[in-house]
Amino acid sequence: MLLALMGVALFAGWVSLASQQAGRMTIGDPAIPVIYVGILFAIHLAFVLTGRRMDQVLLPVTGMLGSLSLLLMARLPQGLAGLSLGGLDLGLAPLQLLWLSLALAVLAILAVAVRNDNWLREYKYTWAAVGIGLLLLVFVLPPAGAERIDAPRLSLRIGPITGQPSELLKVILVVFLAGYLAENRTLLARTSTRVGPVSLPPVPYLLPMLAMWGVALAVVIVQRDLGAALLFFTVFLTLLYAATRRFAYVVLGMAMFLAGAAVLYQLFPLVRIRVDVWLDPWSDPLDTGFQIIHALYAFGRGGILGTGMGAGLPAVGDTPGDLPAIHTDFVYAALGEELGMLGALAIVALYAIIAERGLRIAARAADDFRALLATGLTLVIVIQAALIIGGNLKLVPLTGITLPFISYGGSSLLANAIVIGLLLALSDRGVEPPPPPSGPRRFHLPLRSTA
Amino acid sequence: MTSGGGIVGGEGAGEGGVAPSIGSALLRVGLALALIFGGIGAGLGYWQVVQAQELSSDPGNPLVQAAVRNAPRGRILDASGEVVAFNERGGNGERLRRYPYPAMTPVLGYQSLRFGTSGLERAFDAELTGLKPLGPGRDMMRKFLTDPYDPSDLHLSIDVRLQAAAASALGGDRGSVVAIEPATGRVLALVSNPTFDANRLVDPAGGQAYLESLRGERSTPLLNRATQGLFVPGSVFKIVTATAALGSGTIDPATTYPTDEEYETGFLVEGFTIRDSPRSFQRDRPLDFFEATEVSSNIWFAHAALDTGADELLAWSERFGFGAALDFDLPTAASQVTGGDGPLSGFTDRVELANAAYGQGETLVTPLQMALVAACVANDGVMMRPHLVDRLESEDGRVQTVGSSELRTVMGAPDAEDITQAMVLAVEGEFGQVFAGSAKVQDATTAGKSGSAQVGETGRPHSWFIGFAPAEEPRIAIAVIVERTGFGSEVAVPMAGDLMSLYLDSAE
Repeated sequence: MLLALMGVALFAGWVSLASQQAGRMTIGDPAIPVIYVGILFAIHLAFVLTGRRMDQVLLPVTGMLGSLSLLLMARLPQGLAGLSLGGLDLGLAPLQLLWLSLALAVLAILAVAVRNDNWLREYKYTWAAVGIGLLLLVFVLPPAGAERIDAPRLSLRIGPITGQPSELLKVILVVFLAGYLAENRTLLARTSTRVGPVSLPPVPYLLPMLAMWGVALAVVIVQRDLGAALLFFTVFLTLLYAATRRFAYVVLGMAMFLAGAAVLYQLFPLVRIRVDVWLDPWSDPLDTGFQIIHALYAFGRGGILGTGMGAGLPAVGDTPGDLPAIHTDFVYAALGEELGMLGALAIVALYAIIAERGLRIAARAADDFRALLATGLTLVIVIQAALIIGGNLKLVPLTGITLPFISYGGSSLLANAIVIGLLLALSDRGVEPPPPPSGPRRFHLPLRSTA
Repeated sequence: MTSGGGIVGGEGAGEGGVAPSIGSALLRVGLALALIFGGIGAGLGYWQVVQAQELSSDPGNPLVQAAVRNAPRGRILDASGEVVAFNERGGNGERLRRYPYPAMTPVLGYQSLRFGTSGLERAFDAELTGLKPLGPGRDMMRKFLTDPYDPSDLHLSIDVRLQAAAASALGGDRGSVVAIEPATGRVLALVSNPTFDANRLVDPAGGQAYLESLRGERSTPLLNRATQGLFVPGSVFKIVTATAALGSGTIDPATTYPTDEEYETGFLVEGFTIRDSPRSFQRDRPLDFFEATEVSSNIWFAHAALDTGADELLAWSERFGFGAALDFDLPTAASQVTGGDGPLSGFTDRVELANAAYGQGETLVTPLQMALVAACVANDGVMMRPHLVDRLESEDGRVQTVGSSELRTVMGAPDAEDITQAMVLAVEGEFGQVFAGSAKVQDATTAGKSGSAQVGETGRPHSWFIGFAPAEEPRIAIAVIVERTGFGSEVAVPMAGDLMSLYLDSAE
């Protein structure tokens, strides 16, 4: 039902865009939306046929975000990305459709196939090792497309495919944290060390927190990826809070974060530029402040109702895209211009729905691991969206992370599809019960009695 | 929810080692996320509603730049409908702005693809390019129109004949003329001399070289003297001093100053002697306010300012607009009564305060500010907001009128009447006409005050005049300054008289 609504919205948008571009009423070339909607219905059918009782809202919402992405990519200059596949030159929109299809396939496979979580639960340290390995890979392998020495080293190139390992890393991180916290949360919630008025858990259990802090800093230093660092640390603190409900952790973590940020601000020009530009982009409107100022112009031009699909600024001049990185970092500004404040709010609402569904799945989960995993997966998507939307709106410093399911890019789509796929699997009420709880060995206490 | 088992859900999480339930924490996480979403919504509202118009008319906005290139820019017309700025296709098909009246440059500025905009072309850029449509609601509907631009013509209050006459009267001298309709604040002329030829500046071929040569010019033709030039006012500032002294109740028109002795020796303020000259115009008795204004007695006004006090003088001049940029269509410099860091409310000492009384302390004014002082006295003490644009008119006939608005009541009507009477004496009185008689407009009572502002120790003074006519029902107030050309009576006074006559004659 919701999927059908989404399909209607996509086709309406497609016709509106095609008409705008052609200057007359036309439905354009319907291949892309037809394929896309077809895939979504096929996935839905697969869910029904395999008899899984999963969340009914997540797939349509994800599909809607994907449709917006397709509309936007079809609307932007096609030369922004390109790939030749066997003599077939694919532009921005077909490529994004390809990635979206792959991502949806991954999502569907995970949602259908994952029926127990032991492979995640039991091997958390293995996953952590994989994650650190990924991080190291970026350091060792030549970065893709980084001409300047202080350009963000976000991408990995393996053969013809480039990818952003931090996208995958965030999923692994959540899996590890959920496992670790589920096992140790009783201990972490205890207070035995006192530093002045602040009560802290036993010192050894603080080490993971320090390690996470280190990882976040390392991501900034090694990868020069402020967005991922912010995301990791925020998700970590929130999960820690969810597991222990100790606000002191959040305060402590933020203090550590601010201290680290202050040091990085002094040491790394990249960080300094990002923060300075955030505070006053108009001090350097033609260089460092260019992107954010033009993003704000785009929002301003959009106003309440927006200019309409295809009628935004890139159509006015003949420059290919008014904003650099419009198809990755500034998709929200582009949509804010063409769909207006109402459209932009609707996008926020879609992420809010994901948040609501995700947290609901977490609350209904059968045990701590699943609850924390669902929470973490939800947070990864929602906080990432909030960070980049906030960056576009000059509410927080601008970072180079993607807007989940809307930005162009394969690794981002795949990683977020894994997240939604796992969430869907977790939402199935007919799933295998979790293994018998095992608390920290020292206590031999069951953490909860299972229902 | 996770509520099973006695050991789950403990609030305390204390020494007992029991973890609290995840469910209740999730609720708070959800609340935090809701707050974040709310913040994003607020951010959207700020940029897309509150700031939208400003962002969309920012000169850096590519939309604006595209409009500047593509849209037919609105014309600018003077009060009588004479076109003073229009479009022309240049040699390469590019749209070029043309300015048929060189004297209009201080008002209009220029619009060039290369150098951007200045003057009214800048202040009303959004309206001229049509990015800010007239009338409510049209903004939202605009996207449904095929033509996104909705340029408006600007109809000015400037009388281009008066403007041109003032510029040619100044001729080769540096100086400025500002004329205002007192009852409305409509600016009738705003001249700065020398100025430059905006046609040459916007010419893509020679513009850059021309601009370089203008920058090197010692006579600073790029400076808009009328709004941003700061000049020593000399005796024309006595009108401000009189307003403060009368308004604060320190004196009344009958108050008399100097003593006999001071005529002979001068008025001694902390070792500094203030003298009146020429001696022959002094009567053999103390002067009241009217007589003091008529003969422009420095001693009288120094007494008045010292009795009024620094605080009152500053407060009253601020009511005229001193101390801050004026609310105007063009950027303005702030006029000042004092340099501002001395111990006596900003004045260095009583000597500076006494000198400020007749505009020779650290007092610096713009011609626009002094024209406003004259217009305010003329309008019974009520200051109208000065403006250059009467109305905007779009192609399809929609009109947006810029109404006159009152800025504030600077002084009571009786005070304004007394000052007017004194200013009439200063032009038409037995002694006054010796100084400023040539400002007299035929068949109209003329009020005014001349000034000769000493600049530095040597050289000729600035020649000043401010005034208005007819005194009973003022229709034009004027400020004239001609730099370093002599006493007020020599240059500025007759020029002001001629210009006021020209305006009043032509309007009949």
